[in-house]
Amino acid sequence: MKVNDMKDKIKLALAQISSTRENKEANLQKIEALTFKAKEQGADLAIFPEMSLTGYVVRDQFYELAETIPGPTVEKVEALAKNTGMHVIFGMPELSEKTRATIFNTAVLVGPKGLIGKYRKMYLPTHSVFEEKRYFRPGYQTAAFQTDLGNIGLCICYDLFFPEVLRLTRLKGAQLIVCISASPAVRRSYFETLTCARAIENTAFLAYVNLAGVQDGLQFWGGSRLVSPTGDLIAKAKYDEDDFVTCEVDYGDIRTAETFIPTLKDLRPELFDKLKEYSELL
Amino acid sequence: MKLTSSVLEMDFSETQKRICRFIKEYVENADAKGIVLGLSGGIDSATVAALSSLAIGGDNVLALMLPEKENFNQKDIEDAKVVANKFKLQNQICDMSNVLEGFYKGIPVFEPKDRLCKGNIKARTRMIYLYYYGNKLNRIVCGSSDKSETMMGYFTKWGDMAADITPIMDLYKTQVRKLAIHLGIPQELALKPSTPALWPNQTAENELGIKYETLDLILYGLERFMATEEIANQLIIHESIVEKVKARWLANEHKRRNPIAPKMGYRTVGNDFRLPRHTY
Repeated sequence: MKVNDMKDKIKLALAQISSTRENKEANLQKIEALTFKAKEQGADLAIFPEMSLTGYVVRDQFYELAETIPGPTVEKVEALAKNTGMHVIFGMPELSEKTRATIFNTAVLVGPKGLIGKYRKMYLPTHSVFEEKRYFRPGYQTAAFQTDLGNIGLCICYDLFFPEVLRLTRLKGAQLIVCISASPAVRRSYFETLTCARAIENTAFLAYVNLAGVQDGLQFWGGSRLVSPTGDLIAKAKYDEDDFVTCEVDYGDIRTAETFIPTLKDLRPELFDKLKEYSELL
Repeated sequence: MKLTSSVLEMDFSETQKRICRFIKEYVENADAKGIVLGLSGGIDSATVAALSSLAIGGDNVLALMLPEKENFNQKDIEDAKVVANKFKLQNQICDMSNVLEGFYKGIPVFEPKDRLCKGNIKARTRMIYLYYYGNKLNRIVCGSSDKSETMMGYFTKWGDMAADITPIMDLYKTQVRKLAIHLGIPQELALKPSTPALWPNQTAENELGIKYETLDLILYGLERFMATEEIANQLIIHESIVEKVKARWLANEHKRRNPIAPKMGYRTVGNDFRLPRHTY
């Protein structure tokens, strides 16, 4: 894909859903219905939350629910993308092809021509109510994919707390960074701050799509949003409830942002060696 | 962190919204026909009753008033009725006296002067009433435990803690009082001394030996891993008071958990058998 072939403007559908736990069929139906709705509303890309395929609080059942990528679910989403001409991003537990019980928390990007790529969550929260390291192996690669819709980077939820993940994603070329999430309500203010911060410091669009609903007492706060490269809220979904919002990414805005907030121009590579050195000594 | 009463301030509109959402979604997902709860005339159950009514409508909330002759308190019944009327709850009075007498007579070693054991029978009998109605009417049993009492272990095991949901268990008592006033519960009721009502003239603060205003700040500090010395210094109280609260909190973890089993198998119930509570 040549960069010149990509669109200057694309339309996103932030599909903020509450997943039914352990019911992939029901969740896939929701993904299908909302992808068609996104298509009807002129969107190019429909984005669903972290673990939207299975629900987030499923604990030991991850071992039963995980699938390889490609695998049966991705094939269904590929067919959906082909039928609608849409791009789709969703979250699922990914089973390693080489083992029987090694699982990743993965974001999948599918386009009309099939699977484009995947991202395995690098930072797995295992504190407070979170127990992701118990179940998942972390990813080791950031992800930025050149597509018909521009260069799209992927990250997941807690990754937002680590600027280096999104910085690297941006340096790989991502101009739209999609963060899918399953964030409980008590942490809302952190995410509202960090989504803006990560967008500004990278002068990139940041689309954040969070779960809604309640799972085992955890109330997911929704609040999905598209943040501009200068940190402005372009669109915002309702708090707490299922919602569906469309919004436009105008890549032309990145040039204006980069000249006004030239963080990439001013980047100091030598600091990263020091970061590595001192983080090892913490 | 500065340990003052301001740390317990909350956005009570947001708190109400989140708890109501929790109740509504739980009842709907469980395919239950509503809620049954005990309405004592005290602040915790009044708050939970109000939240339940706001979440699913008073028609779907059955409030049981469960008096008994030894500890009968007309004012509590009247306060409970005020709440039931204000929030349009279904309600029923069940006099437990005969049932309790049956227990007292039926236990060969029953000792009437042992008020703790006797009082616990009352708390567990209330539980039996609530679960009977819950079972009979396909309703969720809604508990009224708050965070202060739960952390202190100030409850009857398998008694007042027995419930399907506990909507205010993550709120300290002083927060519950403010939430109650926010919900429109009369101030007089919201601020009256808390009691488990297991025997006459019993009050929670007397038994705990500390005011909730102080206790809640100690517990808040412990929740956030503050050292006892630091908590004591900030609250200008003797460290032994904080240590006593901490010791009681830690000693009662067994009351807050399911029974323990020796590890024998591959995955063990209540231990490393980690399953979602429900499949919805």
